[in-house]
Amino acid sequence: MRALVTGLMLAALALPAGALAATQGERVKIKGEIIDTWCYFSGVMGGPDSVVGSAHHTCALWCAAGGIPVGVLAEDGTVYMVLKYEGDDNVTGGDTILEVQSDLISADGLLYQRDGINYLVVEKVTANEGLVNLSHEDYDVIPPFAIPKPKK
Amino acid sequence: MRRIALAAAVALIAASGNALAEGEDEGPFSEGSQAKNWNLLGQEKARFEAKVVDVLCEVAGDCPENCGDGRRQLGLLRSSDGVLVLANKNVQPAFTGANLDLLPYCNQEVEVDGLLVGLPEYTPAKMYQVQLIRRKGEAEWSKTNRWTKEWAAANPEAAEAKGPWFRKDPRINALIERDGYLGLGLEKDEAFKKYLFEE
Repeated sequence: MRALVTGLMLAALALPAGALAATQGERVKIKGEIIDTWCYFSGVMGGPDSVVGSAHHTCALWCAAGGIPVGVLAEDGTVYMVLKYEGDDNVTGGDTILEVQSDLISADGLLYQRDGINYLVVEKVTANEGLVNLSHEDYDVIPPFAIPKPKK
Repeated sequence: MRRIALAAAVALIAASGNALAEGEDEGPFSEGSQAKNWNLLGQEKARFEAKVVDVLCEVAGDCPENCGDGRRQLGLLRSSDGVLVLANKNVQPAFTGANLDLLPYCNQEVEVDGLLVGLPEYTPAKMYQVQLIRRKGEAEWSKTNRWTKEWAAANPEAAEAKGPWFRKDPRINALIERDGYLGLGLEKDEAFKKYLFEE
């Protein structure tokens, strides 16, 4: 028995620290818009409603390619930080995550809540409605320089 | 309606650009911080010791070598209280995250200095902008400005052209060429540009 306990302890010590702190994810269904979380939370370019959708699409591409965490903004305002997207863990500018910026998706996934933040592993996207938030109708483009002025 | 909304957005930008009153951006981790002010929502200077971790490994036990080699979001497991702080941004004003700046410190103990950001209406926990980092016990701080250098090394041809990286990135430009700046297709983009620049 002692040998078994010692063996388990040694096995635990060999694991990365994260494996010890990790929890079982909660299976969830999420519907929301893929957003750029830095602009959304920091207010660096304006209020939250102005930094989502078509008005902010180009900036969302820049931020996603730049490795800024991508989130899913649900209708109730909850933001889920995406850690993996349909098996692809390159969420710091990978092609898959870049392709879906500003899209409205429905997904099955695993939710991990830790220290006030919702982390989401998107397992399967069950629907992608594309870009449906026409925020440019209210906000034009944010930031204003996202669309370069045509050269005369 | 559009003009009202636009004015409101501009007002918000202007408000966020107002200088914070002295001490307004102080918080429980502000002591000794030399973080630069970015006039962000809920901004608090924060300097603390932490371990750099792969967030997916930390929360789900999915742990590849070297914190995912730059593919994954990284976090800071704060030494004083064990809180996992999400590193959202580096110091560069260039739409760049923090993962490449933290990666050399994967699973190492560090000290960081920067800004905790966000209002409780939108996020129960603030995000972190890492401005400076050093290994625990080191004297010299490093600025978190590695991202654009890495991009230039990975995109040598694009990097030679004039302008910031986000105007030259081949993948971004390909998506804009396909879907337009608004992401709604080229026809809607052209009509919008006409409104924006000609009307």
